[in-house]
This record gives sequence, C-alpha cells and structure tokens, in this order.
Amino acid sequence: MADRHGPQRAWERAGRLGVWLALAALVGYPVLRLLTTAAAEGADAVVAAVALPGTGSAVAGTLWSSAAAAAAAVTGGVLAALAVERAAVPSRRWLRVGLLMPVLIPPFVSALSWGAAYGPGGVLDDAVGVTLPGLYGPAGVVAVIAVNALPLAYLVTAAALAGRAEPDLERAARASGASSPAALATVTLPLLRPALGAAAVLCFTYAANSFAVPAVLGTPAGFETMTTRIYRGLAFSADPAVFTQVLVLAVALLVVALTSVAAADAMAAPGSVRRTAAPAGAVHGGAGRRGRRVAAAVWAYVALTSAAPFAALVLVALTRAAGLAPVPANWTLEHFSEALRGPTVGGLGRSLQLAAAAATVLVPLGGLVVALERVAATRRLGILATLTFAIPGSALAIAALLAYGRWLGGSLAIILVAYLGKFWALAQRPIAGAADRLPPDLYRAARASGAAGPAALRTIVVPSLAPALAAAWLLAFLFAFHELPMSGLLYGPGTATLAVVVLNLQQVGDAGVTAALAVLLTLGLLVAAAPLLLVRGART
Amino acid sequence: MTLLECRGLSVGYAATPIRRRDRGPDPQLQLRAPVLDRLDLTVGPNESVAVLGPSGSGKTTLLQAVAGFQAPWAGEILLHDRVVASATRVEAPERRNVGLVFQHYALWPHMSALDNVAYPLRRAGSPAAAARREARELLNRMGLGELAGRRPEQLSGGQQQRVGLARALARHPDLYLFDEPTAHLDAALRTALQEELSQRRGETGAGALYATHDAAEALAVADRVALLRDGRVVQSGTPVEVYDRPLDLWAARLTGAASVLRAEVAPTQPGRARLRLGGIPVEVVADCVSAELPGPAPVLVRPNWAGLGGPLPGLVRQAWYRGPHTDYRLESPGGEVVVRRPGPPSARAGDRVGWSLERVWPLVSPG
Repeated sequence: MADRHGPQRAWERAGRLGVWLALAALVGYPVLRLLTTAAAEGADAVVAAVALPGTGSAVAGTLWSSAAAAAAAVTGGVLAALAVERAAVPSRRWLRVGLLMPVLIPPFVSALSWGAAYGPGGVLDDAVGVTLPGLYGPAGVVAVIAVNALPLAYLVTAAALAGRAEPDLERAARASGASSPAALATVTLPLLRPALGAAAVLCFTYAANSFAVPAVLGTPAGFETMTTRIYRGLAFSADPAVFTQVLVLAVALLVVALTSVAAADAMAAPGSVRRTAAPAGAVHGGAGRRGRRVAAAVWAYVALTSAAPFAALVLVALTRAAGLAPVPANWTLEHFSEALRGPTVGGLGRSLQLAAAAATVLVPLGGLVVALERVAATRRLGILATLTFAIPGSALAIAALLAYGRWLGGSLAIILVAYLGKFWALAQRPIAGAADRLPPDLYRAARASGAAGPAALRTIVVPSLAPALAAAWLLAFLFAFHELPMSGLLYGPGTATLAVVVLNLQQVGDAGVTAALAVLLTLGLLVAAAPLLLVRGART
Repeated sequence: MTLLECRGLSVGYAATPIRRRDRGPDPQLQLRAPVLDRLDLTVGPNESVAVLGPSGSGKTTLLQAVAGFQAPWAGEILLHDRVVASATRVEAPERRNVGLVFQHYALWPHMSALDNVAYPLRRAGSPAAAARREARELLNRMGLGELAGRRPEQLSGGQQQRVGLARALARHPDLYLFDEPTAHLDAALRTALQEELSQRRGETGAGALYATHDAAEALAVADRVALLRDGRVVQSGTPVEVYDRPLDLWAARLTGAASVLRAEVAPTQPGRARLRLGGIPVEVVADCVSAELPGPAPVLVRPNWAGLGGPLPGLVRQAWYRGPHTDYRLESPGGEVVVRRPGPPSARAGDRVGWSLERVWPLVSPG
C-alpha cells in the first residue's frame, strides 16, 4: 500500500518492537522453555516416558479421534453451508444462528449435556430406556467434538462461498448442460478446495486441542487423549517420570498442531483461485418446497445436537435428585441456589476479570498488528500472531508454567499470560477481516480531503471498523471466559476459574449442582453473545 | 414454429416464502411487485431480438427466466413450442438448449480458457480429446488460439468475453441469450464482436435474444427491438419502426436523441403534413396524421430529421461536435430543438441561424 521508501516512522518502529516483545514474552519464551526443559531431561528419560503406559495410546487416541471428528465436521459443515447459503431457504439468518450455536456453548457444557440427554441414566434413558451406545468412550468423544467443530467448517465454507464461487459460475455450468450434481462436482467443489483444506486443518487442530469433551466423556471410559493425559499427569501425580511424560506429550501436541497448520498453509496457495466478477445480488426467489425441506433438516440437526442435550441438562439441574423422574413434581431450584454459593461466586468473579482483562489488552494489540501489516504491506507479523492460536492450550499452559511458574505460579497473572498468548488471534482476525473488506480508497479519500494520517485513521478507519472491534473484544472475552485446559492446569489455591469449579464439581460427582452451574454459565454466555451472533447472522 | 415464446410471463423475487396457493394469476400478484409483469415476447428462427430497457426494467431477470434460473410466478415460457417453465413446472437449465453469455463473463477461474470452452461439449457426452479439439477450433475462430492455455484471470476483459461467447457457441444452442454483451468492451472490439455474432447466427439459423440498455447497440444488432418498461414490453418492432415511430416520449428517449416541438399540424396528402411553427408554414413527412391536430400539438423531432440552414429562425444555445457531424441545440418558435449538420461546428452559441425540418412524428398526448 504505502510507499516503502521513506524512513520508518517512530510509531511504526515502536509498535513493531512492542508486538515482537509481546509475542516473545507471551509465546516465544515459554515455548522455548518447554523445548529446552524437555531436551534437558535427557534421551533416556524421554525414552522411558514414551515407554510409560498411556503415552502411545494417548497419542494414537488423539490422532485418530481428531481425524475422525474433523472428517465428520467438514462433511457436515460443507453440506450445511451449501444448503443454507446457496439454496432458497426460509429464515436463513436463524438457521445460521442455530448452526453456530455450539460455538457459544462451552465444550464441557455440551459434553455434560450429551451425557444428561443420551447417556446411561440420562433423560432419554429414563423416558424410553434408550441410550446412545458408546457415548462414554471414543465414539461419543468424536461425535461431540465433531458437533462442536462443525460451525468452524461451516464458517470457512460460507465465507468462501460468499467471496468466490459466485452463483453466475454455477449458472454458467448449468447453462452449459451440467446437471445440478455435475455442476457441484466440476465447479462448486473444485472452487472450494482451498477452503476445504483450511476447514479440515482448523477442525483437526481444534479436535486435537480439545480437552473438556474427552475429559468428561472419554476419561470415565478409559479413553485418553494427549490433553487429558497431560492434565491427569500434572494434577494427580508427583512422579518425576510422569512429569517427563507430560513434557513429551506437550511437545508432541505442539508438533501435531503446527504440522497440520503448515500443511494447510502449503495447500492454500495464495491466489490460486480468484473471483472474476462481482457476486450477483439476490439470486433466489422465494423458498420452495426443497428449501423448506432443507430448513427442516437443519432444524432437526440443531434440535438433536444442541437444543435437546441442553434441555436435558436443564432438567437434570431442576430435578431434586439423580434417579428421580424429571417431572414438575420433582422440580426444585435448590441446585441453582447451591451452585451460586461457595466457590462459585469467587470463580465467576475471577473468570469475568480474566476474560475482560484479556480482551481489553488484546483488541488494541490486534489492531496495532493489523495497522502495522498494512503500513508495511507484509503479513509476517499477522501470520505469526495467528499461528499462536494453533498452539494447544495444554502445551502453552505447561510452557507458561515452566517459564513463569517460579514467580507467578498459582496466580491469576500466569493464567492471564496464557490467555493473552492463546487468544491473540481471536481478537486480531475480526479486525484484520474488516480491514481487508474496507476499500483502501476510503482512507485515500480522507487523505485527499486534507486529513493527516492519524486524523484519517480516527475519523474514517476506526469508525468503519467499530463493529469489528466490538466483535473482536467479545470473541476474546467469550473464549477466555469458558476456557478450560489452561486454567485447569495453571490454577492455584484461590484462583480457580468458573470452568475449573464446574469441572471439579463434576469430578466429585454432584450432577445436579454441576448441571445447574453449567446452565447458568451458558445462559450468561448466550446473553452476552447475542449481539455478536445477530450481527454475524445478519451480514454476508 | 418459434424458438422462444413468453406468454404472460410474471417473474419476481420475494423476501417472504411464496406458498403454492399464492402462485398463479391472482390479484395478490401485483402487490408483490413482480420484476416481469405479464410479459409477451417471441423469437423466431434466424431472428435476433433486442430487449432494450433502462437498468431495473427486468432485462437480466428475463434472460435468467428463459435460461431456467428463475421460476415464473405466472405465465409460460416455451422453447421450440414446448412449455419449459410455468408456475407449476420448471425444467432444469441443462435441459434447455440455450447458450447464455454472461454480463460479467462468469468464466470458471480454476479452468483454462480451453477447458472452459470444452466444458459444454464434455457435458454433452463428447470424449475429452474430441471436446478439446472442437474447443480449440472455436477459440481459433475467436482469434484466441494462442491464449487457450491461460486462466481467465490472465485474460483481458475483451478476451474473457470472447471465451464466454465461445463457450456458449460450444453448446450448439438454437437460442443465444446475451446479457449486455458489449457493455464492457471498447468501441473497436464491440464492432468486431457484433460482426462475429451476426455471422455465427447466419450460419446456424439460431435465434438470439439480447438484453441491453444501449439504444445504438440494440438498433444495430437486432431484427426486432422490444422496449421493456417496468417488466412489460411496451413496444415491439423493427429498429426503424421503434426509432421513427416511437410509442410515446419515454420510448422515443430510450431509442435515441429526441426533441419535442409544439406546432399546428394539418394533413396535406397521405404521409405528409403542413406544420405552422411560430406562424411559418413547413411541409414535412409525417406518418399517421389523418386529421387536423387541434391547437399546438407535441411532435417528435430526431436530430437527423432537421438540418441547419432553412426558413425557420433559431438561436444557437449550444453546439456539440460529434466527429462526423455536429449537433446544435436551438431555441425556436416551437420550443427547443436539436438539429444536425455534417462537418465541424459552423455556428457558435449566441448565433442566430436558420434551420429546416424534413420529418416529424406526432406524439399521442398522454391520457
């Protein structure tokens, strides 16, 4: 964009330095510490740790369950995107909201809900004696992770559909004699290939990094992934060999995540597919019978995977004791009032503080990176910051513990450090996306109208980006608020976050209170996220 | 036999779902503001029809409906005297033998120009080698032989347009549909493309339907011009008919430059009339004047129906040099009029000149 001839301006140099320092402190140094500590253990200790029971099965379990969940999520996400974004469906906006719902429900809540709805002793079991076979175990873990990852695949595909394969291209295929399936196979899907690769990697890393679902649905059945193994090793064992195992697993998890991201980067060659024309405007008439059928199928999916499990969780929270029929005669609000006593209030306050602090620091930081990228016309800094999101939370938490545990161990500060490293990308991506959509001529017009650089930024660019800045803040806040593996590994006496409180309650086995707390947490999140979801749904 | 016939075709976009019982010709239909409103249109073999209308008049919607991307609310579309679309049944686009050329080309970015052109042949069941051979042949005829291996993004707008045309030709359709075919081309390329189009159609006997907002293009390429206003064909005729005898002032302005004078008009012999402009009598060609028109009546004057030099007085307000000729806007006894004279400007703003009138078209007074 801007000419690169003059000397770098002072703010640019200072900003660049600040971003590099922040990246180094939040991610670079901790990861380095993780690698050097693992290396310092020596080859023998590493070999011994690998040979330890559980290491191999955890790695294998992570790899195949993540691959299976990613395959299911991408298939479902692409189908849903094609159906909802391309066909003439009634109330498209609400269909989107329904499909994106799992993003807002904390993973441990969805795992608990599925157990409450479809597990042994769940609502369905009580009512008609039917349980979902294998819900506790690898199959259930794959299913629930796939449901949670589907919105990611959906969003990536929908964005690609909106930006690239405009309807005229498919019409041209149909007008050339291609049937609807032939047009899909020869035009739509080939054009979506980069997006499909990106979606697959996103879902795979999401699945490999997920902790709450395998912790709730896998661990009780003896199915372990790397993340649950790390958590168990750190939380319940003082054996140095187990600590080495934790280190090895953390490094392996890091390698798995970064390798798959690198593969995606290689696949999505820049500029391999470019749009040829402006997308056509409103292309579809009213919804036909087919559109209504599609909508009904999507609603059924949303009901079975999000609404019904959550309703079951509400019933469990309302029912006086486990084993009683979830009918109004047995209803009580006791669990809710109990959930709001004791450690919960403190946990809620800490989660709110941490999430607000992380979001408030990250939005200006993300905005700064976006601005620097555009001034220097290079994306290196932005890509690096985005990459930090791929670092598994469990690995990053161990790394932060090794780097800063001596001074900050058990404090809220170390959790905040981990959050800042992990959620940087969440705050940056919406800003970068909005900045990309902003025509550069708007800024140039402001400059040509006599505004100096900062004035043009303040009066034109920032106001245009305001919704994106708000979305970025909210996104970072929401994810930090219900974050689990990192706070679970890093909390100390008196610094448990709300998610940790819920997890500990669940492990103690108090189903009613756990459910009540999970319900309250989710309702709070839904209310907080409503503006985000509605704005998102209304656009594109 | 007709290639295309639209009978009472109504098409629209709806924000709310249209229920089956709402479809069909009912009073509710108008409340939903159709884009095409009970439109009638035919295209015969070896005929080219231009649909001329301002933006928003429904041109693109008409092409989309004929190609099969837009279902009618009411009415029918017939191809080869066979109903392909009605309110109850819509045949898929790939089953209609039409060649569609898109306004923005719509070339597939993941295929080379050659594969874009070969695509319809492959879909029709040609083996890959034969399809590519024919596609190469078509590209050669378009003068794009050397560029066959390029991706669309490596081609200029005009080259992309020709690839899009070759792709439509590769389908061997009976009916071509062109959406603003030359809107994005420069003048030289536009002329070349128009020549290619009429030659191709002459060879195969196929019909063509052009959608355009450009009067000069419509009059030049079409055997028949249909004027589209708010989704209805308000006038249809040969280019000479719609230019010389427009239905009303709106149609006159759509088809070219037009001035309106007020004059007393009396018929003298069939096809001729005597006008009095500010008391000065002039004898002109005027079709359809059978009786004396009462009072000063509005008459249409095309710039080429009036010339500089003559008995009528005028004051030059403005002169536009157009290259081959110059147009002068004059203030005259009957009102403002634009007259035309070959060559560079011979009078300037403020000059008093004489002018002459050869032909007028009486406008039917509205209401």
